[in-house]
Amino acid sequence: MPVIKVPRPPKNAMDSNRPINALLLAQVSNLQHAERRLPLRYRSSIYTHAIKTEGEAAEYIRHVTEAIHQAHSDAEKQRAKQQRRRKPGLEIATAAARPVRKRSSKTKTKTSKSKRKKK
Amino acid sequence: MPTGLDSLKHIVVLMMENRSFDHMLGSLKAVDSRIDGISDQLSNPDTTGASVKPQPTAEFQGQLNPDPDHHFPAVDLQIFGGDPARVANMQGFIKSYFNQRRDVEHSQKIMYYFKQSDLPVLTTLALEFAVFNRWFASIPGPTICNRAFAHYGTSFGRVDMNPFDIIEPYKSIYTRLIKATPKHTAKVYYYDTTSSTMEVANLLQNQPELFGTYKQFLSDCDKGLLPDYSFVEPNYNDHETDSGEEVANDQHPDHDIQAGELLIAEVYMRIKRNPKLWANTALLVVYDEHGGIYDHVVPPACPADKFTAPANSTGTGMEFKFDRLGVRVPAILISPWIPKNTVVDRVFDHASIPATVTKFFLGDDPQRSPREINADIFIDPPSGTVDPSRNLLSLTAMRKDCPEFDV
Repeated sequence: MPVIKVPRPPKNAMDSNRPINALLLAQVSNLQHAERRLPLRYRSSIYTHAIKTEGEAAEYIRHVTEAIHQAHSDAEKQRAKQQRRRKPGLEIATAAARPVRKRSSKTKTKTSKSKRKKK
Repeated sequence: MPTGLDSLKHIVVLMMENRSFDHMLGSLKAVDSRIDGISDQLSNPDTTGASVKPQPTAEFQGQLNPDPDHHFPAVDLQIFGGDPARVANMQGFIKSYFNQRRDVEHSQKIMYYFKQSDLPVLTTLALEFAVFNRWFASIPGPTICNRAFAHYGTSFGRVDMNPFDIIEPYKSIYTRLIKATPKHTAKVYYYDTTSSTMEVANLLQNQPELFGTYKQFLSDCDKGLLPDYSFVEPNYNDHETDSGEEVANDQHPDHDIQAGELLIAEVYMRIKRNPKLWANTALLVVYDEHGGIYDHVVPPACPADKFTAPANSTGTGMEFKFDRLGVRVPAILISPWIPKNTVVDRVFDHASIPATVTKFFLGDDPQRSPREINADIFIDPPSGTVDPSRNLLSLTAMRKDCPEFDV
């Protein structure tokens, strides 16, 4: 079968100044709904009621989409950090639970000796 | 003997925007009479009472401005034609479009459709693989609630574009797959962060890890890393990036149709160029709703959903029980295991997407909406007995004559 030619759109197909359509307006409104739930530091300073063109809508859509990803990514990093902080404590607790009485008694002895020496 | 169905591993859905079946594929009736497209008998009255026939004079851009109304009350007028007895007749398209500009001549453009030669990608794929004669939008309304049916099998009672909440026990198809045992993989590929997704309120906000970009989709195709189920969204807006201009390719009026053709060809070719992926992937190209553009097939009634849209939210003064499908849209299933020139007459809607993906990968799941449970599936699960008349991937040897596009 011969390769079928796919016509490319003309250069003037692109128009970021095109008035925003109902779909993009709804997408902006849905994103604004999501943005309101973001912590303040992630929010944009774009006034959505003033968005009139596709280009302006695109800018807002990008900002909020990236902010949502960033907020989740930061929360994930924070979670990992907290888990790392918790980890040493967990290791000590696990070690303490191990049946190593003999060794621990020696340690105690050593400790007591060293304490005595210090005294 | 094993058929293509037995080798299927990936399902990819590319959902385009706002074009009706007759508008995009109606011309194909002249090529294959089994395709339920445009015929001489079709017409709609304009507001002067004149009968207007569909014309093959649709343009790629600049014709459907303003964007034809496709909110619930407008679609109600398009389907019922304002008939007080409420008999669906598909006679209200011009009347509805006239309401926006009060211009009789302009309102007739809603009847225009594309010639076969205008859409070399979509029409070739329709003739080469399986074209659906009866794939309808899930509800006679706009984008976001229709796309919700593709993600959840319901719109949770919504017929509008506002954010909606997921109501338990229903879950998105992605959650079902990734939480299943054994685990499955699923991804939504939006074009880029500047185009983003139309499912903001739940998927993006709560599960952003589900998303990848179109660039990643292309790379995943090349590397054989596609998940079990992929949902691809087009570029919804014209925007600049560091690498240049990105033209909207969703085909939403008044975006350029050819940009969308290019996208469809690229998705198809990228899968096809990886021989392993091509052999075990089915690609569904479908449109979310008709966008207010003429189609002649009356949407059928269907079993009601669990939810009801109250009269004050439909804009028609009547409640809606989700017991009628929306207007017909183009839908094509693509795989090298599908016989050339397959025409499917069974009824589908977007709830068929999660229904099919669930049945294929997970088997049965009772915690789905009534609409999804009742929706037909377009790929039967390979386990058990598959009715040969329902198996679209029925070939026992892969086709070697599938079309190629220069993308």
